[in-house]
Parts: sequence; structure tokens; C-alpha cells
Amino acid sequence: MPATVAERQVRISCVAGRYLVFDIDDVLYIRRHHGICAVLTGTMPQNPTQNLFLGLPVELHAEEAKLLVDRKAAYIADELSDHLSQLTTMDETTRGAYLQHVKQQRRNAKLAFDEEKAKVQAMHQGKRKAASKANKTAASLEGASAAPEGESPSLFDPPTTTGVVAGPATTTTTTTPSKEALPAITPTTSSALLSGATPVLDGPIPASSYSLYKYLNSRGYYTTPGLRFGGDYSVYPGDPFRYHAHYLANSYGWDEQIGMLDVVTSGRLGTAVKKSFLFGAESPSKPDPDGGEGGEMRVFCVEWAGM
Amino acid sequence: MPLDDDDNPALPGPQPTNKTTTTNTTTTTTTPGPSTAAAAVPDDLTAEDLIEDEGAAAQDFRLFRKTPGVSAQTIRKGEKDFESHGTRAQADALEQSRAAMGEVLAYTRVHAGPQRNLARGWVFQGWWAGFGEGEEEVGAGDGGGAGAGRERKPYGFVRERVVVLEGGSVASMNLGRAVTGQAKDRPARGKDWLLPEEALYLVERGSLDLWWPLKGLEEIFPPETAAATATAGKEGGEGAKEEDGAAEADEYELGFPLSLQAAYALLIGNDGERGKVSLQKFQVYSNLKRCGYNVLRAPPAPKQPPATPSTPITTTLWQWFANLLTSNPHHQPYGPLVQPGLHRSYASIYRQMALLPLHQPSATPSSPPPKDPFAIHYHVWKAAQKWTKLRHPPPDFQLAVVDAQESAVPTLEEATALLDATPLAPGRAEWAGHPGRMYARLKHGHRHVLVAVSFAEVYEYSWLRSKDTVKLVGAANLQLQLLGSSCVTLDTLHHTDAVDGMFQMAQAESIWDVEKTGVCSHNARRNTTIGKASGQSEVDNVGEGEPILRSPHN
Repeated sequence: MPATVAERQVRISCVAGRYLVFDIDDVLYIRRHHGICAVLTGTMPQNPTQNLFLGLPVELHAEEAKLLVDRKAAYIADELSDHLSQLTTMDETTRGAYLQHVKQQRRNAKLAFDEEKAKVQAMHQGKRKAASKANKTAASLEGASAAPEGESPSLFDPPTTTGVVAGPATTTTTTTPSKEALPAITPTTSSALLSGATPVLDGPIPASSYSLYKYLNSRGYYTTPGLRFGGDYSVYPGDPFRYHAHYLANSYGWDEQIGMLDVVTSGRLGTAVKKSFLFGAESPSKPDPDGGEGGEMRVFCVEWAGM
Repeated sequence: MPLDDDDNPALPGPQPTNKTTTTNTTTTTTTPGPSTAAAAVPDDLTAEDLIEDEGAAAQDFRLFRKTPGVSAQTIRKGEKDFESHGTRAQADALEQSRAAMGEVLAYTRVHAGPQRNLARGWVFQGWWAGFGEGEEEVGAGDGGGAGAGRERKPYGFVRERVVVLEGGSVASMNLGRAVTGQAKDRPARGKDWLLPEEALYLVERGSLDLWWPLKGLEEIFPPETAAATATAGKEGGEGAKEEDGAAEADEYELGFPLSLQAAYALLIGNDGERGKVSLQKFQVYSNLKRCGYNVLRAPPAPKQPPATPSTPITTTLWQWFANLLTSNPHHQPYGPLVQPGLHRSYASIYRQMALLPLHQPSATPSSPPPKDPFAIHYHVWKAAQKWTKLRHPPPDFQLAVVDAQESAVPTLEEATALLDATPLAPGRAEWAGHPGRMYARLKHGHRHVLVAVSFAEVYEYSWLRSKDTVKLVGAANLQLQLLGSSCVTLDTLHHTDAVDGMFQMAQAESIWDVEKTGVCSHNARRNTTIGKASGQSEVDNVGEGEPILRSPHN
């Protein structure tokens, strides 16, 4: 596991100047090992009529993409040219391999689908059984008048059918799928298709707040876009799955004048949501005491005194 | 109306049982006690509470996994900790959350079900590249089906259409367009073609199987003349496929399925690229579609009709006032605003107080057409049963998509041009002259447009969650609510509406007593709110400096 972790190269898809990640393993990997949670932007196929939970792809902002590239944990792929070249110049063997992959996924989908169906059927039959039992007791109580109702479930629910239905379902999981056509699938990533050399783009040019972002990330903080709180980042002491944000961070230039009103504004905004306002800048002259690239970061925190 | 927070179904109701936070800053963050919080703010779940929620990035996917079929409303967030305390319980909970996210997101889109319901899209990016859309079609969209006379179809954006749809009657009900007027021997005649955002949205929600063609369009969709034999053969093939899997070898003869990643690569582009949609526009589009709105691209602006004298829409009290006001432009550079003297009616006093020219909304504005990014990109309709892609009423919202990082708050010129590109939408007729409806009128304005501010990476905002409201009081009152991906009401109040309102209020309540209180103190208040906000241009005729605060008493 550690070896693969060290070697893993995250593919960051550059699409029209934006940075996306499509592979869920990559997403989890950068979340676990690089402290980057990024932002889910896609529609969830399981539940496509809501905006609360979103799905793949994940969008990285330029700082995050640059951080990963600088750490040599990722490369940036020019998605359009890669796809177009692969799609237009595809030969039989690569196509065959890709189709084989798709077919395998279709088989898997079919298996999952069949299992699900068997489960649902079993559940329904369980319900029917209970219902028929109740009906039978009712029928026995009420006598001949309720007989037709008591009969109807038995049409669908002879005990032999359950065995028949359950039998093929369990066998399909191990052997051939049932004779229905395989369902079509849309794979999430093109990894099976793009086997050739990927045209790699240069690292992104991040915003001026990159140094602050890098500093926070190196200290184990997670960040999410802080725009809703009026800052550059909201800073979490760990994975946002588990923790509330502690800070609202803004980046400044080393010699930049910070208006008192800015401090008040951001401080008020942060305090209103129980975060302290944090600001930092990178020194152009002093080197980083930790030996990293770039200059020393100085970071301050402003808290509201309740006087 | 889902844009109002009060009505948004996603707004959590007063159920603060699992709220760990309060807006009260004295409750220290180190003690996230649910009981105290619930006691403190039982039914005061305001914007701040929502802001407190850390957003969708922190949504706990465990809840999604547990309850896959439930609506968003019932999904609540789990408890959170203040900081790491190194316990295994905490680590386990985190790991569970991550695993749940992985499991939920690892889902592969499966197109199961009866063959006839499956929608398949073929990417033909160059097919319509040379198509010239009839000029007469332009501009019909804003009239929609409401236009009298011969019915015209909305503008088709045929050149932009890159995906041809095969099957899938459900998908093509609200999306796509068939290009009519094609010769009989053209291939794929009568098929629906999708815009890139439509195709990508369908792929993403798992409703479309996007294929890359290996053969030309002529072979996949043979023209009708040759169809008799070909389709028969094809149908036979499909039938055979359903019978047994032997025909599968031919299944990929014409093309093969593409991945979601490939769909993004092929359909997302920069603004202005033919057959592409920019990522921010797509995100706004899909966000609205997920909410259930009907969204169509706005047709390009019609050519300016020859300048006609702008006729006032209705002759109301306001017009009458307008005439009075414009006829009295004379003001002394100093001295009391209302000249001392005999006033036989309020009208003469109001006339003297009129510092600003009255805005007269005109149906044919003269400002130049709007430029990107402040231009109308989408027309949005609320979900309605009778809406169809070809026949629909005028849109409920006109939407502009703006990148938050690349553009600033629109200048007055941009905002005016944007607003003038929308049709005049005055408030209801019965509101006019009704004092009780003043605020409704003020809020409604004469024209309205939605601005979707898309933050490159801040997509987790939900509709109501971010209540960052930028209010500019100005000649146009822009109320930018930075929402989800993020839709924004840009509400216009022409300043003179406010003046109207003031007059009306004064009339209705007779609070305007010249002798006792001094008109100018009222007037001053009025003008500091209005005059200051509307910038320099509007108060020019008053003179320089502080023209307003002149009271008869000093």
C-alpha cells in the first residue's frame, strides 16, 4: 500500500482551463494524503434531482493543482487533444482492448443489477408471504366470503417460485449472466481508452494566495473556498467531513498595506460564523525556516475582543 | 418561487435538534452542546445558521448511502467535532465518511431497462458547422408561443448542435431539436440534435449513452430513401441481439461508448467555441436543471428595429407626474428647495421638490446590446406541465452567467444594457396607484434579470445557503445574492420609482406638512438615500455641492 501511494500519479484533466479529477480513487487519494478536498461539481446519477450531494468530477482550483504538480503527485493532462488524437487514430487492438474493458464493466453492472433484482424480489415475496398469512387468518376468520382475496397471493407466491427465482440469481453471480442483453454503461473515466502518451501541460499559474495555501496545507490544514465567508479560504483543522472550520484566511502581499477596515470587515464576518480571521504573507527576503521553497510565511490571527 | 428563501424547499425548517452551533458568540466554540444551542435559538434558523453549515463539501455521504431514495430535504448532516482528539472513534468516523464517499461516487452509470427507452447520443461535431440559420427565426424566442399570427419556432442554434440522439423519447421531450426543412435524402432526417450542455447533462445524470462514431452519419442514420432495407436489417439485428448475445460482435461496428471524462473533454470548451459550452455555463445549467427548471439557450439579440418614438405604456398617475416634473426643471442653486409662498395644492410643492427626472420605462430602450459576460445566456422557466421545447410562454427568468473571478460588479452601463435586453415586465396593473402595493411595485421594478455568478470552484453553495447579499442602491438597484452556482436576482429599481413611492406615501398618509416639519428635512432624507446612491449624473440639475440640505429654517 505505501509503495503504491508514493508512486501514484493523479491525472488532473485540464478542460478549457479548468482542473478536474474524474477518478474516485484519485479523489480519495488526494484527500487522504495531500489534504485536498476540492469541490464536487457533477450531477449524481443515483439521485440527479438534488443539489445537496454532488458527484464527480471534482474540480481543483489552481493552487491545489499546482501543489500536487509541485509535489510530483500529479500531472496535468490536456484532455481534449488527448481524447481527439486517441479517438481519431485508434487502431483495432486498442479499440478491442477498450471494448473488452467496457464489456467487462457491462457484465459487472449486469451482475449487480441481477443481484439487486433478486433481492428486491425476495423482499417482495417476503412481504407477500406475510400478507398472505394475514389474509389467510382473516379468511379463516371471515369464512368463505374472503376466499378470493386469500387466493390471489397464492397465485404469485407458491413456495416453489422463490426457489426458482433465487436459484438463477445466485448462479448468475458465479457463472453466466441471464439471457437478457447486457445493460449499456458509461464509464466514468477514459483510463482504458487513453493508453498512449498523454500530452502533459505545464503547471497552472495559481493565484497570489498560493504561498498561504501551501503553508496552510503543509501544516495539515484543509481548506475549502472561503468566499461564502468573505475570505480566500476557510481553514479546517482536519478533514471537513469531521471538523468545523476554525479560520477564515486571507492572503496579502508582504509590503501590502492592510486597511483597518478590511480587518474589521473580515474579522466581523469571521466572528459572526465563529471563525477567527487569519491573514498571512510570504516574505520575499527571508528563507523558509523549514527549508521549503519560497520565503518565510508570517501568519496572524485576529480575534474579536468582547469588550 | 424557489429563488425566495422563504419558499425554498431545501431550507431546513425549524428542526434544530442536531444543531451544534448558535450565532451567539458567547457560547464558545469549544462546547458544541446541542442542548444549549437548541434552547438558545429554537426557531431562529437564519442565514447565519445556514452559513454555519460548512457546505456541501462537508456533506456526509454516509447519509446519502443510507438513504439513497430520499429527497434532499430529509438528508441532514452529521455531528462534527471541534478538533482532533486522537481517539479511535473519531478516526473511525472519519474513515467511514470517506469510505462512504468513495462508495457512493464509485457508481458506474448503467443504462438498463427496455431497449426502446435507451437514449444513445452520437457525437458529430462538424455536421452542422456550415449551417446558416434563417435570420427570420432570430428573435422569435422571446415572443415564444405567445406571438400572434403564424407560429414561429424558437431559435434553434443548429450550428452548435453536436450530438444526434437515437431513441430515448423521454430525453428528447424537453431537450434537443430536430432540424426541419431538410431534403429527403439527407441522413438522420428528423432526428433530434442536442446542444453540448444538454448532452453532457444527460450523460452526467445517467440518461444518455454517448457514443463515438466510427462510421459516417450516412451509415448510422441512412437517408429515408435507402432506409427501407437498411432499417429492416438493423431492426432484425437488434432483435437478434436481444435474443442471444451472439450478435454482440457487431454491436461496436458503428462506434463505441464514451466515458464521462471523454464527454467533458469533447463538449466543454471556451466561450464562443462552436459546439462547446464553457464549464461555468454548464455548471449553472446543470444546477438549474437539477432543480427542475426548464432551461434553453437565449436566442441571439434580434436586430434593432428601426427607431420608433418610444410611447409610454400606460398613461397613469406617474406619467402625469412625469409631465409635471419635467416641465419644472428650474431650481435655484441655493436657498430653500420649496420656495416660500402660497401653495394651494400639494402638487405645486411636489413639483418644486422634484430634483430628479422621472424615469419612464420604455418598451424599446436605446442602449446598445449587452456584451459578454453581462448578456442574456439562458432563458429559464419554472417547471410546468404544459411547457414544451417548442411551445412555451415567455421565460420566467432571463439569466446571465458571470464568472466571479474574472468580472466585477457590472458598471452602470453594463447593467443598463443587460436590463434593456430583457423585455419590459412592469408590475401587475392593479398595483399602480395602490398605496398598499408600493413595496411590491418597488421590488418588482420594470425589468429583471438573473445573474448567475459562478465561482470557479465554489460549487458547493446551495441555492439558499450563501446569503452573501451585495446591495447596491443606485440608479438600478442590483441585489446580488450569490447563490449556488449561483443564481442572483438583479433587481432593478429605477431611482424614480423610489421617488414615486415617496410621493405616494406622502399623499396617502398626509404626513407631508410643509409648515410644521419643513419639507426639506423629508426631502433631505429622501435625497440622501437616492441622490447619493445614484451617483453624480442624476443630481446634476440640482447644482454642485450639497444641494439638498437646505431648510427654510436655516
